[in-house]
Amino acid sequence: MHPTDDAPDDLPRRSFLRIAGLTTAGWVVGTSALTLAESVAGKLFMPVNDRLDALLLNPQKPVPEFPVSAIEPKALIVNTFRFTPQIDPATFRLTVNGAVNHPLNLDLATIQKLPLTSMVIRHVCVEGWAAIVQWGGVRLRDVIQMAQPKVGVRYVYFQSADGYYESWDLASALHPQTILAYQKNGALLPVENGAPLRLASPIKLGYKLSKWVTGITLTSQLLPQMGYWEDQGYEWFAGI
Amino acid sequence: MLTSGLQIYNANPVFGGREGLHFPFIGLLGGWLAGGRHWHFAAMWFFALNLLWYGIYVLVTQRWKHRYVGDNDIKALQQSRNPKRRIYAWHRIVYTSIIPVLLLALLSGIGMYKPAQFHWIVDFFGDWFALRVVHFLTVPTVIVFAIAHSWLALKAGGDRLVESMFWEEDGQRQQAK
Repeated sequence: MHPTDDAPDDLPRRSFLRIAGLTTAGWVVGTSALTLAESVAGKLFMPVNDRLDALLLNPQKPVPEFPVSAIEPKALIVNTFRFTPQIDPATFRLTVNGAVNHPLNLDLATIQKLPLTSMVIRHVCVEGWAAIVQWGGVRLRDVIQMAQPKVGVRYVYFQSADGYYESWDLASALHPQTILAYQKNGALLPVENGAPLRLASPIKLGYKLSKWVTGITLTSQLLPQMGYWEDQGYEWFAGI
Repeated sequence: MLTSGLQIYNANPVFGGREGLHFPFIGLLGGWLAGGRHWHFAAMWFFALNLLWYGIYVLVTQRWKHRYVGDNDIKALQQSRNPKRRIYAWHRIVYTSIIPVLLLALLSGIGMYKPAQFHWIVDFFGDWFALRVVHFLTVPTVIVFAIAHSWLALKAGGDRLVESMFWEEDGQRQQAK
């Protein structure tokens, strides 16, 4: 046997280590590059996915609801982006303006006199968790109809007391289960969940469901500012 | 799909919620939740359309008749003394079983992506937690499959089978003899 014949034993180990090292390095470089390109992936595919969302949405068809016994009181996590505003219910006003013939300035008593809609639905967060919650309030479509929207209205903006802002497509806003809620799980809406008035709907992700809503603006165009999280890169339609 | 999925997982781990175990950065893709979602919902199109295209191909060419595990493989495992035939039977069992796993990943994914429009998918899995568990479990399953499948392919047909899968039509024909 030739002395160099010992080498084949070493060589595979060395080449194995080299391959393993290259694979790991390639993996790290590759995922880092793809991570840096995440906004490119978002820009390329978000329009397609948003359109798919809009196609899937059946604007008139209610999503099946759950029995009261299915409510998961502890599953609903409170996510707040800045602070919890304290709003005096006596001086609270909901304004509805923009492309409407009849701008509104409603106090809570007037809102609570409108027909009450109660629903037990699944609230789904973008983070992956979900909770079955009962919400009670007025249909957003009732409020929008009171304001008599002008022809060509396509979007609905929501302003909140904590500075949060959101925008929706009109079809989702007019869905029969999209409500301005003042009740949660059979009781008055707690302040950390958005009292006195918040959005609730089974057809949108949680970040679309603004809390402490004080203003509604109807527009015919989507403005450069689409929503607090959307402006940072999250999907705009966020239909589920 | 796997790494961007784990990025999303980290936003609220299936097991233990926010206090639960998070995956280290080496297994992640996207950098933050929205980035993970961007890649996940871009890659889902390639994953789903690939699966659809493969399904059509297997149906149209009638390859489904002979490609997957059959009675003959079960019989081989019970009776055959030929170790190569036994390995080959295991090989076919493993790669057949990945197809329902991939379909399950897709189904549970659609259920989680659009739980209101496809509420029946969530009902099919029981509840939200079960849906998340099933979707997550496809990750370790696919990883174990990839390892087992490569190993069995090497054992069943060696380099020639592996090469035939990628580029050599001839190799495949010779292997079949």
